[in-house]
Amino acid sequence: MATKTAPSIAVPGQFIGPTSKYQAGPGTHVYESNVYSSLLGVVQVTQPAKPPGPPKRLNIIVPPQPTAPPFVSVSPSGVSDKREVLPEVGNVVLCRVTSITPRQAVVTILICGDSVLEAEWRGVIRAQDVRATEKDKVKIYESFRPGDIVRAEVISLGDQASYYLQTAKNELGVIMATSEAGNTMYPVSWKEYRDAETGMSEPRKVAKP
Amino acid sequence: MADRRRINGPPGATIPPIYENGDASLLKKKQVRTRPADEARKTYLKTGVTPSASGSAYLEVEIPGQEGVSGLKLSCTVHGPRSLPRSSPFSPHIILSTHVKFAPFATKQRRGYLRDPTERDLGVHLEAALRGAIIADRWPKSGVDIIVSIIEGDQDRERSRSQGDEAWDLMNVLSGCITVASAALADAGIDCVDTVAGGVAALVRDSADNGKPRIVIDPMPSEHDKIDAACCIAYLPSRDEITNLWFKGDMPDGDMSTYFDLVQEGIAASKQAGLVLVNGLREAVE
Repeated sequence: MATKTAPSIAVPGQFIGPTSKYQAGPGTHVYESNVYSSLLGVVQVTQPAKPPGPPKRLNIIVPPQPTAPPFVSVSPSGVSDKREVLPEVGNVVLCRVTSITPRQAVVTILICGDSVLEAEWRGVIRAQDVRATEKDKVKIYESFRPGDIVRAEVISLGDQASYYLQTAKNELGVIMATSEAGNTMYPVSWKEYRDAETGMSEPRKVAKP
Repeated sequence: MADRRRINGPPGATIPPIYENGDASLLKKKQVRTRPADEARKTYLKTGVTPSASGSAYLEVEIPGQEGVSGLKLSCTVHGPRSLPRSSPFSPHIILSTHVKFAPFATKQRRGYLRDPTERDLGVHLEAALRGAIIADRWPKSGVDIIVSIIEGDQDRERSRSQGDEAWDLMNVLSGCITVASAALADAGIDCVDTVAGGVAALVRDSADNGKPRIVIDPMPSEHDKIDAACCIAYLPSRDEITNLWFKGDMPDGDMSTYFDLVQEGIAASKQAGLVLVNGLREAVE
């Protein structure tokens, strides 16, 4: 098994193995067809997912498929658990709305994937990225309010100040909202939240629970 | 800015006067280099010393002949990666900012609190040394601050201010800064192609060798009669690359091979520092 030949602990710049034997995962880099560690931490080797589907016709002798080499990654676990992660394109993030304008909502990204972010990253949800249909009829103040917690997806690293986010999927949108009276509300439809105490309903871009 | 409200001591160290017909045993014996020319001083390195920083490291280099006394004490903290201020332009890679700060008591001559040109110069050298080691495009739109505090500046306090040139001490300080910053970056979990380590080699002349120039690594200026030239190198050991080279001084003869020898010895010094660095980092994981 290939795990035995890889070192268990790696420091930056340490040779792990040739690219014919490993694929570079997180925390590693490739230099002159060799995989080197780029972080200080524990080396992990993970086998790639098997290609799906059984062979269809068993009466034909098929040469064994060349299997992809295992991924090798270096995770800084045990060194410090404060490692910062950056939002990347395609990640689902949780964020809080800080201000709204007619064209966009400005949010602060709180959680990226499973990890809580240390630094405060700014994001922007533009009006055309709020939902997939009837984009021209979107009104930001009928979709978000300051203080809402929103589940969104990163679509671009954006400009110098903020990431660009979108909520144009059923499972994306507001997941927690407070009413104007200050009570926590519950979702009643894809575009409405209702206050349990006053019975008033407010428009939002609601995430499918 | 001088403090006018209090009665301050002298800005530098003072030495009691010694008279010609006095007790000669009071005179401090001149230190001589006892370790081999290709051996660096003993170094202590520890990571993760500052809990509030993302990564940190501490480095000490001992004074030979004085057990437990260290000449160089450096503490490095790394903050980030964190978001850039809104005024800065878009950057597809990480932006390094390095600060080197002498403690007021780090050198013989007391330092001010404001950043002086020496510290700025060291910061620029350190940034150049680290930029070649960091994989900058792994962290778009973010910045990292690397702050090195010099607690003890590798100067012999027993000697007067007129003796010795501070420029040679700065070389030792810079090589320590590079090593300690590299350890702190690894502790912070910022992707690097290699562990960059700093080393110094110098061309020295001693009366013991009849003034014949020789090359030593990790020089202590107080141990030699004259230092002709010195070079400080930041070196990536597994890639065999130099990321920063600082050469200073005069060559006695215009021989090119002495330049190469000095750089080669500087690399050898960096390799020794790199061993300390790698072992220190491994200890931190285990």
